[in-house]
Amino acid sequence: MGIVIEVEELVKAYRKGTVVTEVLRGVSFDVRQGEFVAIMGRSGSGKSTLLNVLGFLDRPDGGRYRLLGEALTSSDDDALSDARSRKIGFVFQQFHLLDRASALDNVMLPLVYAEVDAGGAERARSLLEAVGLGNRADHLPGEMSGGEQQRVAIARALINNPVLVLADEPTGNLDEGSASDILDIFRRLSGEGRTIVLVTHDPLVAARADRVLYLDGGRLVAGRPGTVGIASAATGDATPPTAHPTA
Amino acid sequence: MTTTASALGVRRQRLSRVVRLSIRLLTAHPLRTTLGISGLAIGVAAVTIMVAVGAGAEARVLRRIRAMGTDLVVVTAPPAPVIAGRQRQIETVTSLRVTDAVALAQDAVHARAVAPGVSRTMTVRHEGLNTTAAVVGTTVTGTRIRNLEVASGRMFDETEDRERRRIAVIGPVVARNLFGSDDPVGLAMRIDRVPFQVIGVLRPRGTDPGGTDLDNEVVIPLETAMRRVLNVPYIHAIYLQARGSNELDALEREVRAILDERHGQRSGIATPFVIRNQSVALRTERGATRALGRMTVGVASLAVLVGGVGVLSIMLMSVQERVREIGLRRAVGARRDDIRLQFLAESSLLAVAGAVAGGMVGVAGAAIAAMVGPWDLVIEWRAPALAILFSTVLGLAAGILPAHRAASLEPIEALRG
Repeated sequence: MGIVIEVEELVKAYRKGTVVTEVLRGVSFDVRQGEFVAIMGRSGSGKSTLLNVLGFLDRPDGGRYRLLGEALTSSDDDALSDARSRKIGFVFQQFHLLDRASALDNVMLPLVYAEVDAGGAERARSLLEAVGLGNRADHLPGEMSGGEQQRVAIARALINNPVLVLADEPTGNLDEGSASDILDIFRRLSGEGRTIVLVTHDPLVAARADRVLYLDGGRLVAGRPGTVGIASAATGDATPPTAHPTA
Repeated sequence: MTTTASALGVRRQRLSRVVRLSIRLLTAHPLRTTLGISGLAIGVAAVTIMVAVGAGAEARVLRRIRAMGTDLVVVTAPPAPVIAGRQRQIETVTSLRVTDAVALAQDAVHARAVAPGVSRTMTVRHEGLNTTAAVVGTTVTGTRIRNLEVASGRMFDETEDRERRRIAVIGPVVARNLFGSDDPVGLAMRIDRVPFQVIGVLRPRGTDPGGTDLDNEVVIPLETAMRRVLNVPYIHAIYLQARGSNELDALEREVRAILDERHGQRSGIATPFVIRNQSVALRTERGATRALGRMTVGVASLAVLVGGVGVLSIMLMSVQERVREIGLRRAVGARRDDIRLQFLAESSLLAVAGAVAGGMVGVAGAAIAAMVGPWDLVIEWRAPALAILFSTVLGLAAGILPAHRAASLEPIEALRG
């Protein structure tokens, strides 16, 4: 299997006035095609920032990131948009579906910005079928459960046949059963050769991945830092694994 | 070459997808869409109605002025001057004669036709009923110059004029007052004490711009009027028809010169007659209705502008409300231009929809207004067309700021909402 993600000494800092917060302080790792990787870490450890950089939603300040051997992070805004369109599929904690659009239309949304949308409707239907929602294509998100909505979002992430699926706390808003269904889908996608990187707080979620990367203070650490859960509580993180988040 | 062509194709495809998407989004929010377009719709409807009403009022006035005659110059004998507060027996200056009309017919080159006329308000009777009406005596030419047409019966001819026949063509108001619903043609009537026979009823003409009811008239041959009814050697008016609308002023000058020569030399002062030129009346009336029209259209245009502000605020609200949606679109591959285009498309679609709806309401409203109001139905298609064009530009302009805001959002921030 080839290498999909190559990350070397990635650095990212946020400036607010004169205060500089270093979020990523030299992160390096590779991800092979078809791998299902979980990134764990307490709040503020930089895991969401890392995911945003991987998805071309944010640019690193230093280091290198190559996707399928191609370095794009210094390209212009339009090139990054196109890269998101062609190569990346996003799955968010809050699903981010359009309320007024049917499941099918939601799945087809990325096609608006894609170069080709021929045969999109059939592809969207078969993707809904694949996530077990073949009979709910015409339903609005409001008529679906959280788990179903997230499955629509996964189908949407796959419509442009991306190399990489990025998921930010995809099960954070779901009950255990639905979360398990979602993880099953990710496992299956990984088995089909799709590369998946997922960010989570939840050790049970991370346990379903092929590999877990632990981020602490902007650096990757070997193994799991012993006290993730307690540390979360201590830093006032209001996002325990199974509760509803405030974000 | 091929790459640019295909790139253009992709762009066009994207544009059409974005526009289709905008339409779907607009129809998905019917209340907001309706609110957004209502201001513009009302404005455009108002402009359309106001322009139509203005044009209708003008058409009505022109029709009234034309009803008195086409390309008309009228010479009238003014009221006799009151000397030392004593009311004179004779109401008007008596120096205007049929010979003046003959002279004008011979010498005025700008005149197509000339006719003398007399008139006086008199009592007319039929059986037990009586009413007052303007009794007008003129020649057959005079009836033509003044556009007098019969609705039933017939007009008198030149022989009957020469023979001083006691026959009358009456206006519809006189007909109603004296004969009720009976057909008056062939029936007898009296003008003052002189017996007449009704030979025709005039087509209704309404009132003149001065408010005189042109339908309360009895038209009789000039000779009959002068010798048998009024017993006067002088006339009250001379009607002249110019050879064309653009010769009215020239004809007026010519008439003044000829009358000055015939009358002024003797008395040593300028013509004592009043010479009225229809183009002056037309200009005055047109000026008045147009000034009023311009003002109302101006106010209505303000309404369109306010409608544009409405679109702007709806669009700004829409951007604010859809920050997450914008973030999502950016995440799934929308470029900044795609987002900008989407909001511009939405605001111009809103504007066009509002303007077209307003234009339709306006045309319907103008038709209804013309039915209930005292003006003609004249739809000025230029008005809604211009208003729609203006609204579209306005809608596009109203979309610029919201579209810019939407496009400037950073995807990560936007996704956080």
